[in-house]
Amino acid sequence: MKVNKLKKVLSAILVGTLSLSLLAGCGGNSNETEKDESGATVIKFGIHVANPAEQEPVTNSIVEAFNKANEGKYKVEFEAADTETHSKNMKLKAEDGTLPQIFWIEGSEASEYSEAGVLMDLTEFLNENADIKEALGGMEEAFKDDNGQYGLPYQCNVQGIFYNKEIFKQAGVEYPTDDTTYEEFIEMIQKLKKSGVTPLAIGSKNSSFAMWEFNEFLARYGWEGNIGNILDGKDKFNNKELLACFEKLQGLKDAQAFPENMATIEYFDAKQLFDEGKAAMFGTGQWDCAEFDENLGDKIGFWWGPKFSDTQAEQNIVMKVPSAPIGVSAAVADDEELKEGVYEFLKFYYGEEAAKLSYEGSIFPATNYEGVAASDSQYAMNAMLDALSNGWASPQAAPDLTVPSATQEALYDGIFGVLQGTYEPAEALDKIDTAAENSK
Amino acid sequence: MHWLSKKKYKIGLMLPTLLVYCIYIILPIGIAVYYSFTKYSGIGKAKFVGLKNYIRLFQDELFWSSFKNTMAMFVLAFVLLLTLSFLIALLLNNKLKAVDFSKALIFSPAIIAPIIVGIIWVYILDPNIGIINNVLDAIGAGALKHKWIGGEKLSPYSIAIIYFWQQLGYLVTIFIAGLKMIPTDVLEAVKIDGANSIQEIRYVIIPMMKTTISTVAVLIITGVFKIFEIVQQTTGGGPNHLSETLVTYSYSQTFSSGDYGYGMSLATVTFLISLVITAVYSILTREKEA
Repeated sequence: MKVNKLKKVLSAILVGTLSLSLLAGCGGNSNETEKDESGATVIKFGIHVANPAEQEPVTNSIVEAFNKANEGKYKVEFEAADTETHSKNMKLKAEDGTLPQIFWIEGSEASEYSEAGVLMDLTEFLNENADIKEALGGMEEAFKDDNGQYGLPYQCNVQGIFYNKEIFKQAGVEYPTDDTTYEEFIEMIQKLKKSGVTPLAIGSKNSSFAMWEFNEFLARYGWEGNIGNILDGKDKFNNKELLACFEKLQGLKDAQAFPENMATIEYFDAKQLFDEGKAAMFGTGQWDCAEFDENLGDKIGFWWGPKFSDTQAEQNIVMKVPSAPIGVSAAVADDEELKEGVYEFLKFYYGEEAAKLSYEGSIFPATNYEGVAASDSQYAMNAMLDALSNGWASPQAAPDLTVPSATQEALYDGIFGVLQGTYEPAEALDKIDTAAENSK
Repeated sequence: MHWLSKKKYKIGLMLPTLLVYCIYIILPIGIAVYYSFTKYSGIGKAKFVGLKNYIRLFQDELFWSSFKNTMAMFVLAFVLLLTLSFLIALLLNNKLKAVDFSKALIFSPAIIAPIIVGIIWVYILDPNIGIINNVLDAIGAGALKHKWIGGEKLSPYSIAIIYFWQQLGYLVTIFIAGLKMIPTDVLEAVKIDGANSIQEIRYVIIPMMKTTISTVAVLIITGVFKIFEIVQQTTGGGPNHLSETLVTYSYSQTFSSGDYGYGMSLATVTFLISLVITAVYSILTREKEA
């Protein structure tokens, strides 16, 4: 009997232990202040790349500089994962209250985080640091709603079309200018195509987000003025202006501007075509400047894109916009020590020293400080600065970041559908309307 | 060991496994089904919307195109894999020259990670850099060039062929194991009775291999409904979702569009279709046995 009882007890303990161990992983709370071995308060920074030192070297160097300056007091540690995994992880962590103290947020999802109440209002931080607010120059406005300042721009994105001057010369094509029209752009594409190169490198496989050059198209067809009406249901995506815009995209397809295998190559493959001199143009942003300096040197040029004559919308527009934001977990507000550390880091991140580090790494910081600029050997960034010197205005946010994620995905699909010939312009816009309707 | 054979102890010993099964299989399915009736972006609270996601699903052209692609892959993979893997197993079960080498060669794709399989086949099928189109060009048969992947028509079939290539060796191995289970004296008796090879296969081997054939069939059915990495790597579901399977479309809606509720309704329907096909197959083969 005793043996039987013992076996029963042992079985129960085993089952209980296993059950508890299974459930143990579901618990835990990361909002308690964590210290490292030196006693420094650890601040977790959730970032959207798997290897920050390689893939976000500027942010990595800013964090390293902060850690060095605050040794024994604060230590910022990355929670790193590729963009898709990061995005999934942050949603899960938001659900169970274990968000890292600071984290990068997918632009189209930022307002959803704010509405869910998981982000800390940073108005107080900006009020306490007037110099930073001034340096941001209004760029923070894109991440403000009824809940307050729910995020701050991670960086400043300058987007447009880079071109290879040597290829243009060899093909006997004039460099594009601020006044180049869409019709001239089509002629340019045809001449480049004839010369045997891919006019505009682009890849759609797993990278439909890589449509930055077309943000300028959308902006020049009055996106900013009308998107509020469309999202409120007072207008449709399939309207006269956007239809004209999408017809221009179709015109690029008809002129054979893109690689034949754009459906089976990714953004990185398309960039490689440009790096290797097999493509004349490539649409991207300042994050690729360092790579272009290395591969193309002073052969690089930068252009905002063509102007259009069949619209009344403003054409003198550049695309210097806040990138996706970084947010602070709402839980930080409940812990004074952590809050102080997070504020210290944000002060550093948006300070002058970090801005210098950004320029050194060919990244435009979200802030603007006098005397902080690129060096002569940063060809791609200087090409962008030249383009920016026209003094034109920029929208408050990149068009693709002004819509909810499901609509954004439909916008990307619509653009690439027209570029690949799978959708007619009106059909693509109808699909975006359907997605917008479904997301209500 | 007597106490182990008592029913209550058996249940006690099964409990940890059942618990794991419930937590990692049954519970997630239940949660997915629950979310399929909600509108949920993955952040904040899910809002109950009843059958709205399912109504949308049946009106969604891309769902039907993903369904069509999945079924095309299923039919192609089922027919090719079931017949060819069985025939190859019959061949390799004989004492032939280099049979062990052939077995290793046929099995080798099964040990390559699906994501690598996808990369390998991109270099074969890509319209620009792929070997097939370049060879066709080189031999002056450029007219036969096609968009094997990345076009609007051929991608699902190309993906089925890749899946076939990857799974063949694994299924051949299962069939060989099944063939080894057939008693040699039965096969010898058949030969003494004067049956030819076709009769031997038709009246002895196939009936005695029914369990193995059923296992392989179920593996193919469930496998086809899980094809993910090959699609992601070769076409990413493109152009414009036209080469999506049900599972990749569900993934894309859930994680790229952030539409968790709709994505879960797609996942639920995919699960049900796979369940129904498996059940129908099991019922049909059981009837034949009776």
